Amino acid sequence: MKPLSKANNLLLRWTQSEYLVLGLTILLVLAVAPFTPELISTGNLRNILSYMLPLFIIATGMTLVMITGGIDLSVTSIIALTSVIGARLMSHDGGGLPSSGAVLVMLTLGASVGALNGAAITMLQLPAFIVTLASMMFVSGFAVWLTQSKNIYGLPESFLALGQRLPIALALTAALALAAHLILHRTVAGRWLYAVGINPTAAHISGAPVRTITVSAYVASGFCAALASVLLTGRLETASPVLGRELLLDIIGATALGGTSLFGGRGKIAWTLFGVLFLTVLDNALNLLNLSQFSITLTKGLVILLAAVLDALRVRFHIHTPA
Amino acid sequence: MNRFHQRLIELAPLLLFVAMLAFFGAQSPKFLEPRNLANIVAQASSTGILAVGMTFVLLTAGVDLSVGAIMFVAAAVAGKMATAGQPMPFALVVMLCLSLTFGGVNAFFTAQVRVAPFIVTLGTLFIGRGLGLRITETRALNLPDSFLMLGSARFLGLPLPAWLFACVLVLAHVVLTRTPIGRQIFALGHDSEKAKKAGIPTTRILVVVYLISGLCAGLAAVVTLGQLGAVSPKFGEQKEFAAIAAAVLGGTSLFGGRGSVLPGTLLGTLLIQTIENGLVVMNANPYIYPMATATVIFAAVLLESLRRRIH
Amino acid sequence: MPPTPTPSTASKELLSLRDVEKAFFGVRVLKGVSFNVLEGGMLGLVGENGAGKSTLVNILGGNLKPDSGTIHFANALYAPRNPQDAAHCGLAFIHQELNLFPNLSIAENIFLTRFPCASRSPFIRRSLMHERTTALLRQVGLDIPPDRIVQGLSSGERQLVEIAKALSLEARLIVFDEPTTSLSERETARLFNLIAQLRAAGLTLVYISHTLSHVFQLCDDLVVLRDGEVVASGATSSFTPDKLVSLMVGRTLTNLFPQPKPNTVGSQGGVPVLEVRDVSQPGVVNQVSLTLHQGEILGLAGLMGSGRSELARMIFGLAPFQQGAVRVSGEVIHQLSPRNQIRRGMAFLTEDRHREGLCLDGSVADNLALVTLPQHGQPPLGWLSLESVRAAVSRIRSVVRLDTKANDTQPVRTLSGGNQQKVVLGKWLLSQPKVLVLDEPTRGIDVGAKFEIYTLIQDHAAQGAGVLVISSEIEELIGLCDRILVMRQGRLVDDLPRAEFNRERILSAALGSSLEVTA
Repeated sequence: MKPLSKANNLLLRWTQSEYLVLGLTILLVLAVAPFTPELISTGNLRNILSYMLPLFIIATGMTLVMITGGIDLSVTSIIALTSVIGARLMSHDGGGLPSSGAVLVMLTLGASVGALNGAAITMLQLPAFIVTLASMMFVSGFAVWLTQSKNIYGLPESFLALGQRLPIALALTAALALAAHLILHRTVAGRWLYAVGINPTAAHISGAPVRTITVSAYVASGFCAALASVLLTGRLETASPVLGRELLLDIIGATALGGTSLFGGRGKIAWTLFGVLFLTVLDNALNLLNLSQFSITLTKGLVILLAAVLDALRVRFHIHTPA
Repeated sequence: MNRFHQRLIELAPLLLFVAMLAFFGAQSPKFLEPRNLANIVAQASSTGILAVGMTFVLLTAGVDLSVGAIMFVAAAVAGKMATAGQPMPFALVVMLCLSLTFGGVNAFFTAQVRVAPFIVTLGTLFIGRGLGLRITETRALNLPDSFLMLGSARFLGLPLPAWLFACVLVLAHVVLTRTPIGRQIFALGHDSEKAKKAGIPTTRILVVVYLISGLCAGLAAVVTLGQLGAVSPKFGEQKEFAAIAAAVLGGTSLFGGRGSVLPGTLLGTLLIQTIENGLVVMNANPYIYPMATATVIFAAVLLESLRRRIH
Repeated sequence: MPPTPTPSTASKELLSLRDVEKAFFGVRVLKGVSFNVLEGGMLGLVGENGAGKSTLVNILGGNLKPDSGTIHFANALYAPRNPQDAAHCGLAFIHQELNLFPNLSIAENIFLTRFPCASRSPFIRRSLMHERTTALLRQVGLDIPPDRIVQGLSSGERQLVEIAKALSLEARLIVFDEPTTSLSERETARLFNLIAQLRAAGLTLVYISHTLSHVFQLCDDLVVLRDGEVVASGATSSFTPDKLVSLMVGRTLTNLFPQPKPNTVGSQGGVPVLEVRDVSQPGVVNQVSLTLHQGEILGLAGLMGSGRSELARMIFGLAPFQQGAVRVSGEVIHQLSPRNQIRRGMAFLTEDRHREGLCLDGSVADNLALVTLPQHGQPPLGWLSLESVRAAVSRIRSVVRLDTKANDTQPVRTLSGGNQQKVVLGKWLLSQPKVLVLDEPTRGIDVGAKFEIYTLIQDHAAQGAGVLVISSEIEELIGLCDRILVMRQGRLVDDLPRAEFNRERILSAALGSSLEVTA
């Protein structure tokens, strides 16, 4: 095997680095800030953070699912459903449930949909793509049917605070992310999750409860979607049956960009954080530069292609690295 | 498991389809009128053409998420050209060239750079949507009547879109069953390593497959333009999922190597469209359409998985 | 059409190998292999598993390149770069794992890369293709419509399709690799008829098989491989079955095995740790019973397909069985599953370490810790003590003598075969199993690592565990075990205590009646 040339070596170290995407984010900020100093104003940073938190929550759940080698297309529909059901329960004619009760119901509902997804995938042995696709259509349709396409307003202050008061939202997000990180890094379940993603057969033979782990990943994903819904609904002050619909591809793109592999067995919460951060900052910067919606979407697409190429490079260099 | 049972399971989608027809026919006699049945085919044409292209990709164990966006961008360009006074045939040609180009981008990254098709086509999806939004300036574009003629012109009782769908189906069927490359696609989908060892030009085949998918997206855009006469920012949205569902319903496996356009994808598309049409004719609550469709898709996929298990 | 045989008195050599060498990771698998195949003749190639037959076949087939040595085919240098080259030169291979695509038809499989098309037309000329296929099928005696999907064909029929394909490629030499393992009696007879016809038409054949009676029946000449070397070759008439068997297994005794430790508990009268009673699964195993005692190393010999691995999988809960019972430490196990068996103190090192034993893209440490994770943290969400895991990993690394150059964080994929196997073994040893089942523990591993693994096995037994070793290398079982059981076609056919260990007896039991030369 030829020794790698110097340039290749640098490229190798670069692509292998966990902080590549974070570095790109910083580069991005440095590049754009001179043109739009508002980018780094406290107000704007609050904006970025506020926008980022629900995305990051969903992406965290998605990371767990992708580590097992699956995917969850139904997350945004879970956001919508939990949003409208929670809102309905809190409204006067829906039961007047206190916010805490509503949040609990939302989280349980999200987890339950996740459980159904997981059950279909493990017990019926159907591909995750199709199961969660059908799930997405059904749950979304259900939410629209329940509300007859109407949004729900007038949500109690205590609920809105969860999404609008940045310290609270930040605390919730941080708690979730920390929990997810610890589970992945510091529990038996986390190790099993990776094993299932790398080689479910070997994991099974080694005593890992493959089915339970897989279902749990989808339950977690549903739970995260519900939690994100709490924040989103609060922030927008509206419960909508189409809430979050446009976020799906952003979430998948950000998670993959961060380095979590679609094929399973690889992924970290920190990586997802970098991915979501990058995409959010990109979105924000392009908005501030007054670029049209077109440029923003176009750039996102190019970025995702870049992520794909990076992933391919990572895989190729990974294999050729000598023992 | 004897041949009869095997045939029964093979025919499950067809039986499901017949059951649907019977159900909706019982709910409302208008449903089975020829005019309505022709409507179903016409309405299904756009998704159907898309699904045919998707079938090629799925057969190789890949996926193309960008088809809806390609539709959008092609329609947007045509709309812009039309409002600028360009002749319709020219606009149509440009649409098809553009969609082929997008297919080519997908092909390049998937077959040459060897990136996962999911990610590549996700990227081109964003790029396509973005370009489309730019061209339409995020507004709706109304197209001149010449386009609507495409949608409404009838020949032997069936509108043009249905004929286009039929042509695409037949062409695709012939390619898949009667040409070397068609058969090699199945081999590749079954096991790409084995196929390569057997001397099959796997890279070339993958390129062709994504080009086909792109082209079908362009054709689907033509049909939809003809039927809607306008391009809105939501043109083609989520159509990729409908295409995948239709193909999978028709028996095409997500894992490659198994599937057909005739009768498979045709049935899958018609099944989905029948549900929607049937629900409309029986004046069902429009809010239950997505749920009904999702349930049928799920049931059909379950059936397919059982079929696989038995084999 | 195969060429008509030349009328000269002395047959020329069609294929000739000279000093072919091949090594993997420094382990010599083929050591100066030389032999000839006469044109129009039929050569039988025999040898135990691991003797180098498959490597040889892969080299001839263009899948591997020899490290040194030359091969000549039809008087020209033969060095195929890929399977297509091999086919082009006129060599065809009927492998055990057929290269057919089950989702396509017979005709399509045969003509997959050279469909007959009308001139200037992209369409396949179906009728022509079917005609040609029917003709080919007739040649091999298969009366099946050419448009039948391969999925529905039996192994025997598929094999005939492969042969038809070889004929369509105008092969001059066909290599049969273990062709009768999945065939019924009738299909075997049909195959032999066809072979006779092919020979009459002038084709040259190479026949590789464990079924020695068939080899005697069909082949003109024999080549015996052992440990990568040709230990004998010549006309079939110059061999007797017994001589053949002893050539296959005989080996100069070097100190390949560690001295057996004095068993503290002993195999006789020790407490049974694993009892298998009358386990049956139609078509796989038939009324198999065995008892494994504390401190005992029990060997399970037999050919591939005799049911040994399948039995082990049943015991561990990976495969179902209709009748029979499994007891671990006296307790009947009802819900057989890997998890349950692991909890009861059982460990199972599977035959296929790449697909079932290792997470190849996972790190060395992660693989080593996988089975015993619950020891370091309460599953599922209890706090995992990374220190404790690290200590255990480090401990087991030194126990199995894992290469010190291999980093804990390195992906296991990058290790050599021997080290990979040590990782799998280490993973299981960490759980301190009372019953250790090993399926081909030293497959594809160099001599040095083998010795270390044998030592580990003996140490573990000396500490009181019962070890069941499945192996195709009789030497290995003889050197390692206290007792050897032999399985053939799903049944236990022999049981030898150490005092009665005898290579020929074991191999004969494994080969069974196939050793009798039929008229």
